[in-house]
Amino acid sequence: MRQKSLIIVSLVLAVIFLASAAFAQLPAGLSRGETLIVDQLSRRVRIPGNFNLWSGWKTPDRGIQQLMLEPLWIVDYATGEVISALAAELPIYNSDFTQMTIKLREGIYWSDGVPITADDVVFTIDLHVRTPGLLYHGPMAEFVDKVYKTDDHTVVVELKGPNSRFHTHFLDRWGCLRIMPKHVFEKIEDPLAFEFNPPVSSGPYVLYDYDPAGFWTLWERREDWERTPTGILYGEPKPKYVLVRGFEGEEARILAQVRHELDMAQHTPEGLRAVLEKSNTVRAWRKEWPWVVNIDPCITGIMFNNMVEPYDNREVRWALVLAINIVDYMAIAFDLMAPVSPIHLPPVPAYREAFFEPLEGWLKEFELDLGNGEKFKPYDPEVPFKIAQAAKERGFPVPEDPEAIKELFGIGWWKYAPDVAEKLLKKNGFSRGEDGKWRLPDGSLWKVTIVSSPDPTHHHFRNATAVAEEWRKFGIDAEVLPTENYNTLVFNGEFEVTTQWPAAEPWGAGVDLSRTLDPWHSRSVVPIGETVAVGPGGAARWSNPELDKIIEKMEITDPFADIETTRLLGIEALKIVVKEMPTIPTYGYCGAVAWDEYYWTNYPGAENPYTQPYQHWPNFKYMLPFLEKAKK
Amino acid sequence: MRFLRSYLLPRLIQYVLVVFSGITAVFLIPRLAGQDPVLEMIAQIQVQGSTLDPTAVKSLTETLRELYGLKGTMFEQYLTMWKRVLHFDFGPSFFQFPTPVSDLLRIYLPWTLGLFLTSTVIAWLLGNIVGAIAGYFSHRSWSKALDTAIMFVRPIPHYIFGVLLLILFAYAWRIFPLGGLVFGRRVVFNLALVVAVLKHSFLPALTLVILGGAAWFQQMKLLVQNVKREDFVQYAQSGGIREKTLIFRYILPNAMLPQVTQLALQFGQAFSGTLIIEMVFSYPGMGLLLYRSVTRGDYNLVMGITVLSILTITTAVLLLDLLYPLLDPRIRHR
Repeated sequence: MRQKSLIIVSLVLAVIFLASAAFAQLPAGLSRGETLIVDQLSRRVRIPGNFNLWSGWKTPDRGIQQLMLEPLWIVDYATGEVISALAAELPIYNSDFTQMTIKLREGIYWSDGVPITADDVVFTIDLHVRTPGLLYHGPMAEFVDKVYKTDDHTVVVELKGPNSRFHTHFLDRWGCLRIMPKHVFEKIEDPLAFEFNPPVSSGPYVLYDYDPAGFWTLWERREDWERTPTGILYGEPKPKYVLVRGFEGEEARILAQVRHELDMAQHTPEGLRAVLEKSNTVRAWRKEWPWVVNIDPCITGIMFNNMVEPYDNREVRWALVLAINIVDYMAIAFDLMAPVSPIHLPPVPAYREAFFEPLEGWLKEFELDLGNGEKFKPYDPEVPFKIAQAAKERGFPVPEDPEAIKELFGIGWWKYAPDVAEKLLKKNGFSRGEDGKWRLPDGSLWKVTIVSSPDPTHHHFRNATAVAEEWRKFGIDAEVLPTENYNTLVFNGEFEVTTQWPAAEPWGAGVDLSRTLDPWHSRSVVPIGETVAVGPGGAARWSNPELDKIIEKMEITDPFADIETTRLLGIEALKIVVKEMPTIPTYGYCGAVAWDEYYWTNYPGAENPYTQPYQHWPNFKYMLPFLEKAKK
Repeated sequence: MRFLRSYLLPRLIQYVLVVFSGITAVFLIPRLAGQDPVLEMIAQIQVQGSTLDPTAVKSLTETLRELYGLKGTMFEQYLTMWKRVLHFDFGPSFFQFPTPVSDLLRIYLPWTLGLFLTSTVIAWLLGNIVGAIAGYFSHRSWSKALDTAIMFVRPIPHYIFGVLLLILFAYAWRIFPLGGLVFGRRVVFNLALVVAVLKHSFLPALTLVILGGAAWFQQMKLLVQNVKREDFVQYAQSGGIREKTLIFRYILPNAMLPQVTQLALQFGQAFSGTLIIEMVFSYPGMGLLLYRSVTRGDYNLVMGITVLSILTITTAVLLLDLLYPLLDPRIRHR
């Protein structure tokens, strides 16, 4: 009897003991009200003690790129700006682009009190030229002839040949060559093995602590935050601490946000709905349906291997476009929540004005030749309104204003015209069997295997599922092949159709499209079996002589000094890509971000997009001065 | 001498052969799967938005192949691998370059071993003790009720059960945390640390103990019921041997043999971790490390984790073989 009582008392005490501490989930001594807690996109940090992101993949979104380091320049796709951070102004090229001058901002310091000067920039570039294995050794060794300073705030980089886009290696867009603290790295024998722990910051926060198991990293606002580009440009970051937390499973992430233990997170669309349903303090980027961030600088879609028959035929590619009912497609792929794009660019604000609107007239007049003198105009500006109607029928609250509808669902897409697709295919020797299925010109059954990422939440997978359904309806034997070998197959050209990014992500700001177009220059195209250099867009293994000329013209055009020429070249290039349709852009990537307003408010939502909205992008530090404590 | 020749030596030879074949298979399979770790790394860099010139990518590819030790023929790589393995050096992780695999193992192995070994031993003890009692008194109503409850619990997948516990004890009734340990890099071994570890390990451990224990319970119950029906037990009962003696001297030793074997084999799985549990409870461990290394073609990391697993399982089996004569008089007799 006494034994039994002892056991029961022990159990009760154990439960009370375990339940005793408050579950603020913060390291000791931190005030929750002073701390912003954000979700880490790349989940857990694998090597918690290593902050040397110059030597390889070191989970930069644990706060290294968003809080600890400032780049020379950075793009903001929400505002369309190219921001000079460590640099005082945009890069200056000489007339033949063989020399680039960097003017540094004055009065900026490393977190250990050492000024950030031209010596740091020279050292960083020079070390990268000399050190194979550093992530940016390739381009630095490839292009840099000499680097030197002319004064403490001016660096001159002499290039081995003309290169008007050399600055892009220092232009942050979820990664770039960021400047190293010379006074730390010059003492290091092996910059690859060096862990850079504790790290020194150029950004407004310093490392405070981290979890040795890799689940969180805690950053503290610098006392001298005003001596950083963030402080100078935008003022004091409001949270004293920022805790970056990694979750391996979505369930815990959702529960954490509902428990007010996570202020900013990125979920799957389904997860976002769950959070919005369960919490009355959580909001999304848009306060109403479709909630998701639809200004992401990334376009999703379908990629053909243009070196494989019959996808080497432009008319076949176009037939496959016209076989897609984009309204049904969007319902399958993303529950009608994303903006479609007829061109190979994401519909970010800067591009709407610079490219989408100027191209609309041309798109309406663009024709396909069906043979026998028959022409067909494939563009359908009514698509956004058709999607809006489908959304209404599903009971979603859709705005009435046409401009708002276009902002939500895109400017238009291509017509669903299976009859025209049929004409194009028959013109090229294809035939339909009695079973209604398409046969190739040699009479064999047309089977399409769509190689995709195996992650069912990924846009690659969503696109693959939707397009397979649409093509099956049209009579093509289409199947999805989700595989972990996806990247290897795509890079090496061992596929027919895939849902790799149909175009390389552009900068998302400014008007320079070189990042998107370069992978389609003929010099980048390699035979099947050889690895392409750039997977997104480039794995299509397509080029065009006219496009080559435009890309080469772009290379001798200063994107900062000659904006209009750069923009017009971009428009001409986009027309060629649309005509040829080497890949099919479908819809802009959408991020399902959720923000809890229990502790912090004034996030950059759709109604006030003062900066890009993701907590994992390097621009996150520029959001922090605008956050406000919630009034309880 | 006869024991050495006919029992020990064949088993030692078998041990060496299994280890050799296992490690060779682990070397070959990822390479034959067709995944290129260098391309995986480059894809990661490109997808995450970094700008890389086509020309720069070519030189980066070459550099990475060199640094990863992927230059040369498959046979040369194979020889290099054996040289490394014999020194217990698995080289750098490709995806976490240049961090040595051994560093990653050092970070994550203690967590996995702590959770997995503890919960496995608890589940094994509880399952076997309760299973043995329920098996011996199988005709009692409480035994039948327990059996029904276990039959209901056991088929629940770890994932569903874990999420259920998470919703119950971390959301509805907020006793336990959602994961992510809350002590920092300057770990001080004190009561607070112990409590933190216990708190964070409790729900994952409970999942493993309940589901694992249920399996042991069912197996043990069946084994005891079978042994109970054996002639020698019936004979002992009719001879008036006391129930306690009957259970502990006659029934349990016979029923325990397959359970001991299975326990030893389970320890080998510790190194591959408990993937689902780690995901649901945000628990640090080897499961996710192995999963990520497989999906990204990180050959060296796959090799490091699986070699540990192979060595543990084969060593456990060898030790069992050597201990069996002590446990089973029939083997001793042979």
